[in-house]
Amino acid sequence: MVDNVGGSSSNAENSGIREQDRLLPIANVGRIMKQILPPNAKISKESKETMQECVSEFISFVTSEASEKCRKERRKTVNGDDICWALGSLGFDDYAEPLRRYLQRYRELEVDRGNSPPKRE
Amino acid sequence: MDQDEQDRALPIANVSRIMKQILPPSAKISKEGKQVMQECVTEFISFVTGEASDKCHKENRKTVNGDDICWALSSLGFDNYAEAIGRYLHKYRQAEREKINHDKKYENPHINRAPPPPLLLSRVTRDKVENPPPSPPNQSG
Repeated sequence: MVDNVGGSSSNAENSGIREQDRLLPIANVGRIMKQILPPNAKISKESKETMQECVSEFISFVTSEASEKCRKERRKTVNGDDICWALGSLGFDDYAEPLRRYLQRYRELEVDRGNSPPKRE
Repeated sequence: MDQDEQDRALPIANVSRIMKQILPPSAKISKEGKQVMQECVTEFISFVTGEASDKCHKENRKTVNGDDICWALSSLGFDNYAEAIGRYLHKYRQAEREKINHDKKYENPHINRAPPPPLLLSRVTRDKVENPPPSPPNQSG
């Protein structure tokens, strides 16, 4: 069911994308936010929704940069290295380095055990 | 172990779906590409939330709100995000107020709030670059 109540023409481009498809689940986002907060802290609903919006946009932003690299190199599949490169290209160097290490361990584990991703830290 | 992993990460299917929306129709995403993004975006949430939490702590407040997230984004250098999110928050609060007024008027708790329009930061950014990705086919009204 596409909900167009209150939609304006500026939303036409996204009228086909349901919110549940456009965003990450708010429960998961909220849970990750809680993990970094002190035990007595609370998170408002608007804060979770704000983060939901923000982080979904971040995925699009990085993926778009990676996609451009693939297009120029005439490759169809975006891989882990492309994501790492995109992060570096966009100035997220602190992210790119640990994720390269993650990728390396990921690949080692793929060879050793099949499919499970490495545990973080 | 599986439960621990689920608690710490965002569902990879949702991450993948969001990635697909910005890619050209013929593009594919490797499994490792999805997992790297999954890991990256989980860290991003923690990073921004940690910054917002510090501000709340200094101001002796217990509840992190939307403004704190906006402030944290700006504080960390994500000014474009902070501006777009600020506009989102404004519309969010308008929608909430309209919902409250509507519910008061009709006393109908089942009315669904219309979500505020999505951010289009990537598309705006992408439009400034040559060769934007082709837009997905839509039914034109």
